[in-house]
Amino acid sequence: MNFDVRLVLEVIGMLLYATFMGFIFMGIERKAMARIQRRVGPPIYQPIIDTLKLLGKKESISHGFIYDFGPIFALGASITALLFLPLANFQLFSSNADLIVVAYLLEVPMLGIMLGAMSSGNPYSALGVQRGLLTMVAMQLPYGLAIIAIVQHFGTFKLGEIVALQQIHGWSILVPALLLAMIVFDIVFQAMIGLEPFDIITAPAEISMGPMLEYGGKQAAILFTQHAVQLFAETAFFAILFLGGASNLLELLIKQIAVLFIAIFVASIYPRFTIDQAAKFFWKWPTIIGIIAVLLTV
Amino acid sequence: MINEVTIILFVPILAGILAWVLDVKGVRELIGLAGAVVPVAYLIKAYPTVADGKSITYSFTLGSFNMSFALNTMTWYFAIIGAVLGLTMALGMVSTAKSGYNWLFALMSFTAVLGVFTAQDFVSFFLFWELMTFASFMMVLKYNRHASLKYFVLSVIGAYSMLLGIALVYARTGALDFTTISQIFAKDAQLTGLSGMGYHATLTFSRTDMILLFTFFLTAFGVKAGAFPLHVWAPDAYSETDQSYTTFFSGVLSKAGVYGIFYVLLMMMGAKLYFSLGTFHGHPLFLYIIAWIGAITVVVASFLAVLQEDLRKLLAYSSVGQVGYILLAIGTGTALGFSGALFHVLSHAIFKGLFWLVTAAVILRTGKTRFEDFGGLAEKMPITFAMGLVAVLSLAGIPPMAGFASKWLIYEAAIQAHMPLVAGAIFLGSALAFAYVVRFLYSLWFGQRPSDLDDVKEAPAPLLIGMGILGILNIVFGIAPGLVVEYINKLFRKPVITGNYYKMITPNGTYNALSVALVLVAGIVIAGLLYVYGARARKVPVTDTYQSGNPVTEDYNLSIRWNFYRPLAEALDFWLKYSWDRFYERLGQLSEDFADVLRKSVYNGNVQSYSWYLAIVLLILALWGVL
Repeated sequence: MNFDVRLVLEVIGMLLYATFMGFIFMGIERKAMARIQRRVGPPIYQPIIDTLKLLGKKESISHGFIYDFGPIFALGASITALLFLPLANFQLFSSNADLIVVAYLLEVPMLGIMLGAMSSGNPYSALGVQRGLLTMVAMQLPYGLAIIAIVQHFGTFKLGEIVALQQIHGWSILVPALLLAMIVFDIVFQAMIGLEPFDIITAPAEISMGPMLEYGGKQAAILFTQHAVQLFAETAFFAILFLGGASNLLELLIKQIAVLFIAIFVASIYPRFTIDQAAKFFWKWPTIIGIIAVLLTV
Repeated sequence: MINEVTIILFVPILAGILAWVLDVKGVRELIGLAGAVVPVAYLIKAYPTVADGKSITYSFTLGSFNMSFALNTMTWYFAIIGAVLGLTMALGMVSTAKSGYNWLFALMSFTAVLGVFTAQDFVSFFLFWELMTFASFMMVLKYNRHASLKYFVLSVIGAYSMLLGIALVYARTGALDFTTISQIFAKDAQLTGLSGMGYHATLTFSRTDMILLFTFFLTAFGVKAGAFPLHVWAPDAYSETDQSYTTFFSGVLSKAGVYGIFYVLLMMMGAKLYFSLGTFHGHPLFLYIIAWIGAITVVVASFLAVLQEDLRKLLAYSSVGQVGYILLAIGTGTALGFSGALFHVLSHAIFKGLFWLVTAAVILRTGKTRFEDFGGLAEKMPITFAMGLVAVLSLAGIPPMAGFASKWLIYEAAIQAHMPLVAGAIFLGSALAFAYVVRFLYSLWFGQRPSDLDDVKEAPAPLLIGMGILGILNIVFGIAPGLVVEYINKLFRKPVITGNYYKMITPNGTYNALSVALVLVAGIVIAGLLYVYGARARKVPVTDTYQSGNPVTEDYNLSIRWNFYRPLAEALDFWLKYSWDRFYERLGQLSEDFADVLRKSVYNGNVQSYSWYLAIVLLILALWGVL
């Protein structure tokens, strides 16, 4: 493997950009929610200030090696997932991985967070872990069906090719079957980025942020950063699969923000499901729509 | 004549007998270990030959039967997996086996499995198959009678249906060796294809014959593989034995069923079954059935694994589920699917073997099996924990681990074969796998430690060596899946999956394990830098946590150990009312009651009534005109 200076520069640039934008997305999320609820809300760059403050804390606590390793692993995995996506005109490593690999990589950070949360010994964290995994079990079937519909329609697993085909034949959502898949994916997306009605994992009012509860100081800062990167990667993933990808970062950004706003609007209307309600919901309508979508694309 | 195959086949059982006869502590372990090392060494020595496509054969005559064995490209693959797992089992047993009995039957099943994998005719296949069942049955019998009987009854059902299948094949062809039978089936398949086009041909096997053969062999192999709904013996049998032995039992013996399906149903009769049974929505019907059996096995077993309260049961159900993946991959019916299945045979063997060795170590050191009794062991057994983590990452399919490489192939194969609903089952199964491995992690290793586990020590050295071998294999085959894929390509005599050692390229997808690994490491380094930049962390115990302002006392263990996934059980309560296991148990109870009624009313030991029976039978015969 020869050392590719341009690739390294692109990677560093993309990481900085994605982290920054991810924080801004978090800010937009808070601001938009506040405006819907007729509050003023914090400034849009508030998450950055929060994270810097956490990093600057004089002391933090640790419950052992795995407790520290969990967030680090999660951030590492989020970065990996990001770098395997074809982001606008930056291909990065995307020629070396396909849809299934990226879909898996996007789930790995969850395991890191869970690992750290479990080792803290806090029962609220353990409850959060349980809720997180059950949400995942519940959402995975419709999620898988949406992905299968995409692959069956385009006949390829390569994200780069999926984007290219959409640029020739129009966005995925113009195809009726894939519009159904998009609806399913959008419902699942709500759970993926942890917003209502599926913010079961953190549920601030019930289990005080669940897995993140025990974390403070620099570990919390790492988790914030991880969330930012993950948010950027997941919105980009959505845009790539259903909204035709993008040819430049601005176009991608517009699509990402559109996706984000849909999620915010849904989140500010609906209250939280309990976990068994969520499971029953996911296994009913999204699954049925998903099955219709995959059967239409066979 | 003694050649490599003879040595590979018979050294383990001889070592087992020797260990049992001598039964001196220290000596039997050495003999047993030697008996397990020899096959591995000889199989490695045979690699250049089989990699060239040549085979090493061995045959002898027993009574009027000619028994033949061969090591070729196909059988070597299964044999080496079996032998490596056998070696790690032996390493584990050095620490856990307490008597010569265990060594005898463990090594007997070692020989038997290798015999099944290398057999070239139905007589030796069946004899070694039965030896395998017997040896594993004896291993379970010592620990739990009920579990062993359940295993035995289902195995007998499997054995009878295999015997019927073999008898049918023999009746039609008059041959028992695989080569002749394969040729006859191949020829018959061609004729069936022709007769489908209007030519008249006399067929050796009719359509009914093929349906019967398919049913018989699928039942026989399905029992051993633990396919739904014949899986009920597996959770009990896997858990109620020496856990080091389960490494082999669940890692390799279940693969004998897979091997059977692969070899007999697919390579031998595949074409004929395809022509006789026809297709369903463009898929060969018989493969479609196997795929759905696999998919249902994955989902049902994984759901049940999530809800278990016993460490061994959880892993046992998970084994059943993972074999479901293999069946599903075979059922896709494409070369890619077969490659995925073969790869998953290897990766399931190494990660589940690792899991069982970790379990053996934990049970050896703590003497407990239920999740509610564990906790906080990560500090006490750090190496075992690290190995458990490798197994977890591999099973959950985290790139770059061996488990991901094979699962990725299965995903690609199932979606490309246009089996969307079957592929959906894999997605669900993998989320469930996440859920149950986390249960394993949380309950055993984290949280508050019960006070009676305070003086637990690290696992003994032989077990750690065994775990080390499997752990390294998980990582090596994960980062360089090409090593395995290259060999699998040889089986098909064409490159099904291209690429190099680190990269797998299928017709529509690509996965570069090395680049994923490197980027992941780089990402972790970046995150680590952020961590190092922050202030120093002060170590606090797990009892010093946020509790909504309530003081934490040492009196209560705050870890959630019992009924961890209760909401899932509530969401599933409708489905959990039905159980095949309970159905079989009830059936067993019913037949027991029936036999009881018979014994009390008919076979009552009264001479007078017996003479009446005789008179009635004679009367019936006379009326029938026999006398």
